[in-house]
Amino acid sequence: MMLSRIAESLYWMARHLERVDNTARILDINVIHMLEADDGITEAMQWTPLLAIVGMDECYADFYPDGQITVQRVIHLLTQDRHNPGCLYNSLKLARENARAVRDRISNAMWETLNQFWLTTDRHLAATLPPWRAAEFYAFVHREVATFFGLSQSTMMRSPAYGFTMLGSLQERADMTARILDVRYHLLLPDLSLVGSPLDYYQWGALLKSLSGFESYRRQYQNGIRPIDVVEFVVLEPNYPRSLSYCLEGMERAFQRIGHRPDGAVAERLYALREHLSGVAARDILDQGLHEYLDEFLVRLADFSEALQSDYFDADPGDGSGVMS
Amino acid sequence: MLTPFQSAGLGRLPAHSEASTIAFHEFYGDDFRPRDHYLPMWEHIQIAGQQMLRAKTRDAHLALHSEGVTFTVYSDTDEGIERVWPFDILPRIIPASDWTHIESGIKQRILALNLFLKDLYHGQQILKDGVVPPELIYRGKDFRHEIIDIDPPHDIYTHISGVDLIRDEDGRYLVLEDNLRTPSGVSYMIENRIIERRILPEFFARYRVRRVEHYPALLLQALRHLSPRGADAAVIVVLTPGVFNSAYFEHTFLAKEMGVELAEGRDLVCRNDKVYLKTTLGLCQVDVIYRRVDDDFLDPLVFREDSALGVAGVINAWRKGHVALANAPGAGIADDKAVYAYVPEIIRYYLGEEPILDSVPTYQMTDPQDRAYVLDNLQTMVVKAVAESGGYGMLMGPSSTAIQRAEFTRRITENPRNYIAQPVIQISRHLCYLEGELESRHLDLRPFSIYGSGIEVVPGGLTRVAMTRGSLVVNSSQGGGSKDTWVLAD
Repeated sequence: MMLSRIAESLYWMARHLERVDNTARILDINVIHMLEADDGITEAMQWTPLLAIVGMDECYADFYPDGQITVQRVIHLLTQDRHNPGCLYNSLKLARENARAVRDRISNAMWETLNQFWLTTDRHLAATLPPWRAAEFYAFVHREVATFFGLSQSTMMRSPAYGFTMLGSLQERADMTARILDVRYHLLLPDLSLVGSPLDYYQWGALLKSLSGFESYRRQYQNGIRPIDVVEFVVLEPNYPRSLSYCLEGMERAFQRIGHRPDGAVAERLYALREHLSGVAARDILDQGLHEYLDEFLVRLADFSEALQSDYFDADPGDGSGVMS
Repeated sequence: MLTPFQSAGLGRLPAHSEASTIAFHEFYGDDFRPRDHYLPMWEHIQIAGQQMLRAKTRDAHLALHSEGVTFTVYSDTDEGIERVWPFDILPRIIPASDWTHIESGIKQRILALNLFLKDLYHGQQILKDGVVPPELIYRGKDFRHEIIDIDPPHDIYTHISGVDLIRDEDGRYLVLEDNLRTPSGVSYMIENRIIERRILPEFFARYRVRRVEHYPALLLQALRHLSPRGADAAVIVVLTPGVFNSAYFEHTFLAKEMGVELAEGRDLVCRNDKVYLKTTLGLCQVDVIYRRVDDDFLDPLVFREDSALGVAGVINAWRKGHVALANAPGAGIADDKAVYAYVPEIIRYYLGEEPILDSVPTYQMTDPQDRAYVLDNLQTMVVKAVAESGGYGMLMGPSSTAIQRAEFTRRITENPRNYIAQPVIQISRHLCYLEGELESRHLDLRPFSIYGSGIEVVPGGLTRVAMTRGSLVVNSSQGGGSKDTWVLAD
């Protein structure tokens, strides 16, 4: 038996923490990439897509009405601006607050890691993070998040608590993978006739690096970087741990751990996601339009999230159905 | 009918004064040698030297820190500060014969107070017989009209109590107050023992100390005993106000030790006069709630409607007998500080026995003569708000300022039922190892008792120490510390 409130906190703890990692990842890659950008590429060109990926283009416009896009501003807004609820700092704060509420459900080692991570970050981000120090900070973030999830795998009972933790982490990861691919792909490949040809090694390398998939991709595909292979790898490759396919499989496994609700909708929603990913090849996806395909994936992912909320977290059926003894 | 202690005549007796009396010393006898039961420990300290105490103290603090044994101090400025539990490594030792006296005295008191509560919420015979003045009860903040005629399981109201004891200048154990609502501190009693045993195994080897760590098992047993659906089917929860409560550590501790859920009000819901836990697999019926939420906040439908900490409908479920609540709502009237003065009479009335443990002389502020005397002598008095605990709302006469005394004079005059006064008692002292020195500090004792199929007093308790030299205030919320408490087996 598990309290809904506890389950929800575990889920959000993991989701926020995964988001912390993802935010650091895309910022990190962009910062590095910026250093070697071709002439004629402006800061705005570099950083606008990133705002689109994390869905903060409007937020940015609100914070900076002059519309000027600079690296320092983007880093500040996404990393540490306290007024931006979606920034890395606030995500980490929420992850830690959720963890505090479930302290007796996660191992001491997990709690201490996260708590220490938060305290250090809070201290570190008291001052503005300059771009030249950003890479170092993001590397620290990756290490801490990896330690936390590593500990969760090595110290948590494979109980419902573990299931909700994994669901939070994998859902957030699938969401971010889909967004990164969607936004980058269209910026890099305005012309669909180029789908089969090798492209800008650095640009596409950056895309794969922001998904921690560069080396694995290189090992798998020796033909340079081809958009169709990238799509296959990032969407469908079941063994690549950030692919949509991999995330979904993990979510299906996690779902087995949290217990089935006969009246619930989660199983159905997971099936809808599975249906979307199976029986298609990269070519089919590109033919129907990658953007449309990923968009549909995100819609189904949101449906899943909604079902999880109503099946497991809002356990309050007014009519007394779902009462167990 | 008045008890000897609160008769108006007391006001004209020679008052206690700091100069004329010296606090009893637990450790040293009158000849300035350690008392017999401290000799084995003292010999050990002399052989090992103070160096050892220093190292052990450091170990103890490190252990408490890393384990996160903390409590929260409320302050006006923010939501509370988390502090590491202050712990003195020298144990307080209680000989077996003292304990027999304490134990039988507490059992007698708890038994009588439960009969009293049952009577107050049913026929009120004790009021009709004029033993306790009715207006004292009716005007008491913690008398709950809403629960009159409800029959709690087995007629038990105070499943868990923590009666505070002090020792007066002659070493007599006196009851300072009966904590019958949601007394806290039991987790620290156990943590103190765990730390002490790890830090000072060599001390333990020289004594036969009775165990205290089975408290959560006793509590679980008592809670299961209350289950409307039988002990085996019992679903039990600890109800906490949440992470910002000063005793949150303890709530977590008890839930973990008993292996039951730690729930907040929002985790529970009532349907058809039954209480359910909101779980990931649906609603799950709850049989017993060990609630650490005050009466006021327990049920917004019955008590304070602005409470977000409680469960709407829980009192009705309790009335119908579908859920058990520990402690019962309304139990607080029996530890009201103004009712306290009548406890000896209450014991005589229900049990036909003389009280085994004495009480502290208490002045009723509703009595004009008592009040006049107290207001004239505030400097030698402790004034307490009757419905407060934790050392809040209290005036310590001897250390008070003129402004504070004026403030209390105003408050007492405005609302006399809300205050009582007691002469300052020089409560007993004990040797403590503080900041590298052996020093004497005042302390008290809170043993914990559980009323299940019978009344059990766990042999030990929380000894609280005033960390400031000369201070008589031991509350953790006021900067007090603690000691492990050893009750000897023989």
